[in-house]
Amino acid sequence: MIFWLITTLVKILIIFGVLLLAAAYLTLLERKVAARIQNRLGPMEAGFHGLLQPIADGIKLFFKEDIVPADANKILFILAPIVVVIPVLTTFAVIPFGAPIKIFGHIVPLQITNVNIGILFILALSSLGIYGVVIGGWASNSKYSLLGAIRTVAQMISYELSLVLSIIGVIMIAGNLSLAQIVSSQAHMWFIVYQPIGFLIYLIASTAEMNRVPFDLGEAEGELVAGFHTEYSSMKFAFYFIGEYGQIVVNAAIITTLFLGGWEGPFLPSVLWFVIKVFLVILIYLWFRWTYPRLRYDELMDLGWKILLPLSLANIVVTGFIMVLLGK
Amino acid sequence: MEALFYIFSIIAIFSALMVISVKNPLTSALYIILCFFALAGFYILLNMQFLAAMQILVYAGAIAVIIVLAIMLLNLAKTKGAIKDFHQLVIGIIAVGLLFLEVILYIDAAGEKKPTGIYTNAIINKVGNTQIIGEFLFTKYVFPFEVASILLLVAVIGAYIFAKK
Repeated sequence: MIFWLITTLVKILIIFGVLLLAAAYLTLLERKVAARIQNRLGPMEAGFHGLLQPIADGIKLFFKEDIVPADANKILFILAPIVVVIPVLTTFAVIPFGAPIKIFGHIVPLQITNVNIGILFILALSSLGIYGVVIGGWASNSKYSLLGAIRTVAQMISYELSLVLSIIGVIMIAGNLSLAQIVSSQAHMWFIVYQPIGFLIYLIASTAEMNRVPFDLGEAEGELVAGFHTEYSSMKFAFYFIGEYGQIVVNAAIITTLFLGGWEGPFLPSVLWFVIKVFLVILIYLWFRWTYPRLRYDELMDLGWKILLPLSLANIVVTGFIMVLLGK
Repeated sequence: MEALFYIFSIIAIFSALMVISVKNPLTSALYIILCFFALAGFYILLNMQFLAAMQILVYAGAIAVIIVLAIMLLNLAKTKGAIKDFHQLVIGIIAVGLLFLEVILYIDAAGEKKPTGIYTNAIINKVGNTQIIGEFLFTKYVFPFEVASILLLVAVIGAYIFAKK
């Protein structure tokens, strides 16, 4: 019992630390990737090739003046950035990030908790991320924030449907909602082979869910200043960023677990396989951002409702038919 | 476990009271989300993780979002005093009375109940109740399940037609 408590606490602390650190260093990675794509160098001053840049940025944000607009709803204004970060950090509780290891004769699964409804837990939490945006945009009591928030909410509702439906195929094949089971049923073949369309839909819909380019209408700089977080400064602003980049890591981890075989892989240690796969998916997200221009609003809605949603429904039907035909 | 039950109860009752007593519609909507979370906590205490996840996913993640979006789009300011309407009063009293009656009926029928049929507690713990819910929905209770689905479909199409007008 005590052993279980200690290992769980250690796992929670490790995940907490790694996620926050990863979120900070993703800002650097994003700037470096952007720089490479645009034939620049990116941050070079702080540390070797800008390696200390995220820390410098963090310290700067920490010491900035914390401004709350006079007409803002103070409680909700402070609550919103917290609401953004909590679901992101909590989602990782059910993601298995390595094969079970043996410590002092006890078998320790590298996953904080293996609930039997793992996928539903993730979906439930990701549907809550919307509130940070809504509350922040509304509580700021500013036109830009409100417009950004309304746009983002409409967008997130549209894409959440396809996001959820794209996973159904994986659940059907695995026959289980527990993520540990889904990973172990991919030991022979990754689900991306059976569910290529589901994978693509999840990739696109999750990019839209995170409000990243080409779906960043909620914070379109050219028209809305910064959208829902226009009025935020200092650490509250940083919280929005931690939430955004943490979400990238979490979504990459979900894709890895559901479609890319999780921590399964030959030769290398399982945790390393997991990290490599997550890193590659993160690179795809960054690559998206610096390759595509922003969609127009009607194009965005058309893509969500008229292309992705029917496609994900068709994917479920086809998956079902093939499973019946193969007699599984 | 019992302590958790009381904590969830206090949160649920407090947030439900706040929903109807705060002046600001958005704050009220946020309290109803808190209430949904407390109810999800009850489901987990009852060992119904599936219902708990659905409670969050459907109610807090979808329905409450629509409520919040409607409040934001309509830009409702603080409510200017309660609207006093005779019909509202009558409907309210009848609804409260019915709910009270239901509570009394439930308390009357309460008592230790064991799962009936082939599923004993041991099997439920082994298979997991999510699978069992799924099995029942698609075998024994397939008719009510499909009727409910068609009702929802009709509502969706109806909403679409009204929006088009």
